[in-house]
Amino acid sequence: MRLFGTMGAEASFREEDFFGREEELSALTRAALEGSRGIGSSFMIYGPPNIGKTSLLLKLAKVLGTSSGGDGLPRPFPLYFSFSQILSHPLALSQHFLQEFLSQLLRFLGDERPSAFDPAAMCDRLASLGVTGCREVLAAHERCTAEGDGLSALVNALSFPFSASGELFYPVFLFDDFQYTGKLQAVPEGAMLSILRPYIKAGHFPMFLSGSSPGRVTAALKREGLFGTFQMIEVGGLSTDSSVLLWGHLCERRRVDIPASLLPRASERLGGIPTYQRMFVEEIFFRDARVPDAVTLENLYAFSVTEGKLNRYWREFFENTFPDRARRGRAIRFLKRVLCDRFPLDTVEGAISLMGASEEEGDAILSTLEFKGLLKTDLDQLTFVGDPVLADFLYWAFERGVLGKGTSQVAAAIVQARLSRTAPEPGQGGDHARRVAIVKELMRKWDLREVPLLLLDFGMFREKFGGKGLLEVVIGMESEAVRVRLPKVSSVSTGYRASRGGPRFDFDLVAYGFLDTNFSEENLVIWAVDVAVEKNLGARAVEHFENRCRLLALEKGLPHDRLRKWMIINETTDPAAVDLASRYGIHLSHPTQLRLFLNLFGLEELEREPEPARSHGAEAPRAGKTLEYELVLPIKADSEVVAARVAEEVAAFAAVDADTVDRIKMAIIEACINAFEHSASESGKVRLRYLLSPDKIELFVQDDGKGFRSGKTPEESKKNRGWGLKLIRELVDDVEVITGPDGTVVHMVTHLGGDSANPGTVRQGEGGSAPSGER
Amino acid sequence: MSLQRTIQIREEGDTLVVCVGAYLNSLLGEEVEKVVRARLDDGGRRILLNFQGTRLVNSIGISFVIGIVEKVMEREGRMAFCGLSRINCDLFRITGLAKYARSFETEKEALDYLAGNA
Repeated sequence: MRLFGTMGAEASFREEDFFGREEELSALTRAALEGSRGIGSSFMIYGPPNIGKTSLLLKLAKVLGTSSGGDGLPRPFPLYFSFSQILSHPLALSQHFLQEFLSQLLRFLGDERPSAFDPAAMCDRLASLGVTGCREVLAAHERCTAEGDGLSALVNALSFPFSASGELFYPVFLFDDFQYTGKLQAVPEGAMLSILRPYIKAGHFPMFLSGSSPGRVTAALKREGLFGTFQMIEVGGLSTDSSVLLWGHLCERRRVDIPASLLPRASERLGGIPTYQRMFVEEIFFRDARVPDAVTLENLYAFSVTEGKLNRYWREFFENTFPDRARRGRAIRFLKRVLCDRFPLDTVEGAISLMGASEEEGDAILSTLEFKGLLKTDLDQLTFVGDPVLADFLYWAFERGVLGKGTSQVAAAIVQARLSRTAPEPGQGGDHARRVAIVKELMRKWDLREVPLLLLDFGMFREKFGGKGLLEVVIGMESEAVRVRLPKVSSVSTGYRASRGGPRFDFDLVAYGFLDTNFSEENLVIWAVDVAVEKNLGARAVEHFENRCRLLALEKGLPHDRLRKWMIINETTDPAAVDLASRYGIHLSHPTQLRLFLNLFGLEELEREPEPARSHGAEAPRAGKTLEYELVLPIKADSEVVAARVAEEVAAFAAVDADTVDRIKMAIIEACINAFEHSASESGKVRLRYLLSPDKIELFVQDDGKGFRSGKTPEESKKNRGWGLKLIRELVDDVEVITGPDGTVVHMVTHLGGDSANPGTVRQGEGGSAPSGER
Repeated sequence: MSLQRTIQIREEGDTLVVCVGAYLNSLLGEEVEKVVRARLDDGGRRILLNFQGTRLVNSIGISFVIGIVEKVMEREGRMAFCGLSRINCDLFRITGLAKYARSFETEKEALDYLAGNA
């Protein structure tokens, strides 16, 4: 029998191309070596596709392969095995595993790679090297195979390393693509972990599971009671320094010349992902291109992502992942909205609604994306992978597929978007956007928790902890008695920098929250937040912030205690600015305070890891772009007023006249009331989305219940009720009611600046299918 | 910030003036209906609904106003509205309310009309 190797991963791994990841390697190596003393740990390594998980495992294998046990202890035997999709039958898998184990063990013990797979001869050879007992296990495996008992054969093959290990070595398992073990034919998901369970628990056999889909594996680990045994390592892009080193190495090998000053930019462009760097350098090499400046670099990148290697990579990925063309199109459109347009989406129900698919198809698409590592699920919360190259690819696919634009047009748009980006200082724009995203994430988690007031009061914080070490601060903060109760935040909007309608809402973030669990108007509180861009916060900036807050409070008719003002300092601040902020009741937080704040909510990782985004995604919106806001309301009396208030704000942002604002408010109130009254929603929630583009305001009110009542019931007629849809028709220009098995979406459009000669066009669609394009 | 949720009533001559709160929803509609019905039961026949402070009206609130208009007409009373914002005027027009009760800009004009001076 021919030997076919571990899916080629080992063969294609180039150790000299491996850069960075020192921290991960060191932790994994330490854990693996501790297996010799029976205290080895197990790790779950996860990250998006293509990020470099396999390289990390193979590098670890190399490191462990050259280490000695020391002090007479056994040596670690790194066994790399990939559970990729081509071995879905347990018999084939067990056979392949056996082959890999015997072959890798022989090489570990100093033999050459055997030219053919002869298990009996390999067992004999191992016996001669002091590894006994292999023949017995092999005989048992053959019996199971002959009987066609796949599961038993698999159990047998997987127990081989444990039975065969002698005192010379102990196996360290490097299991790649582990999520595929959930797809074995006629083997229940999690069975693999059941088989391995006793060995994992023993501490003598460190096990490193790697995969794009941590959700499935961690769910299986939890079922098996193994979750606590595993530590999690998320693999992301390389640091800029490591990425630049890799550029240097790749460019030298291919004799490609990219000016050193462009390399950090190029790294950022590709998200620090080594595979992309390799592909991009190959692209430049095969085109025999010269890269003298940033514009050429951008052009080459755009070329690669629209028709070159980067494009081919992702195109094949999607073709393999979604063989059905229609489903592929739907998935791409959906991902484009999430990754490129930064649609603020984090729930399964919202995702399915955005796809405009049936629940079954939507679930299938989400499940596939999760399996492939493009999104993570934690209960009902979705987190999407922000891969800049993927985002640009999706943009290409979407524009070409939906709008019929040519590749060159899309490439030009990608370059233009990048080059026209304004950065106040190198790297600063990104930092600002990242911090805004972090604070947004933080606020969403507040949920009525109490925190030390010192986190929000820089003056007091400095007085108490100035010059003290972080540890001292953390301890001091724990005993801090003066605490403040944070609101439950229902929505946080970014993009409040006005491009039209004046500077009224010129804030980085505006959050709507409630002071207690009672979701009522009386409890509504608004937080206006600015994240300072200037290194040194001056009194003038504080004054300016206060003025904007006053205007916002006036506009909203807010009592002073219901508008909370919060500024986050960039680096330093003038004493006069601190005094002024204190006088105005503005909360001030230094980055140290923010870090402590994040820590309290388990968000410290966010502070370290930049949120990957499509080039202009996290920036403040410019004129001509679509702004989006989302709000989830509980079905409760009067919460429609909150919806109206947000609608008012969106409309005011578009600088429309007061009459139109009133009409929009009334329309959304009616749509909400109808959803509250008639949907019989199980979730008890209504989801609202506001889209503001230069020529229109779109409002979506979505429930998961039975649907919109378009006419009056006899009961309603008796009570003079049932006006909802009629009023909406009169109040906005277009209305569309889409009812499907998953609920109802009322889509209302008000055109801005155009004629409203023909308002109230109503289409009632059945079956839940969205109109072509997007929703 | 909180929307005024109550109504205020007073008498101007033999007219009952009901000042409706900021958000005319089902709760407020019910309140208005209650005081108007009590007035009608007591023999009063002139009703003025003042919407000066009403920023939002929903369809349920409107249904109560329709009910009130019906009751006043049943008892052969006289009714008027005042202080309607443009959007509320539109809503009253769309629902047909405007056909059954006249609307005035100011309370004085409305009271004059109800008193038969206009």
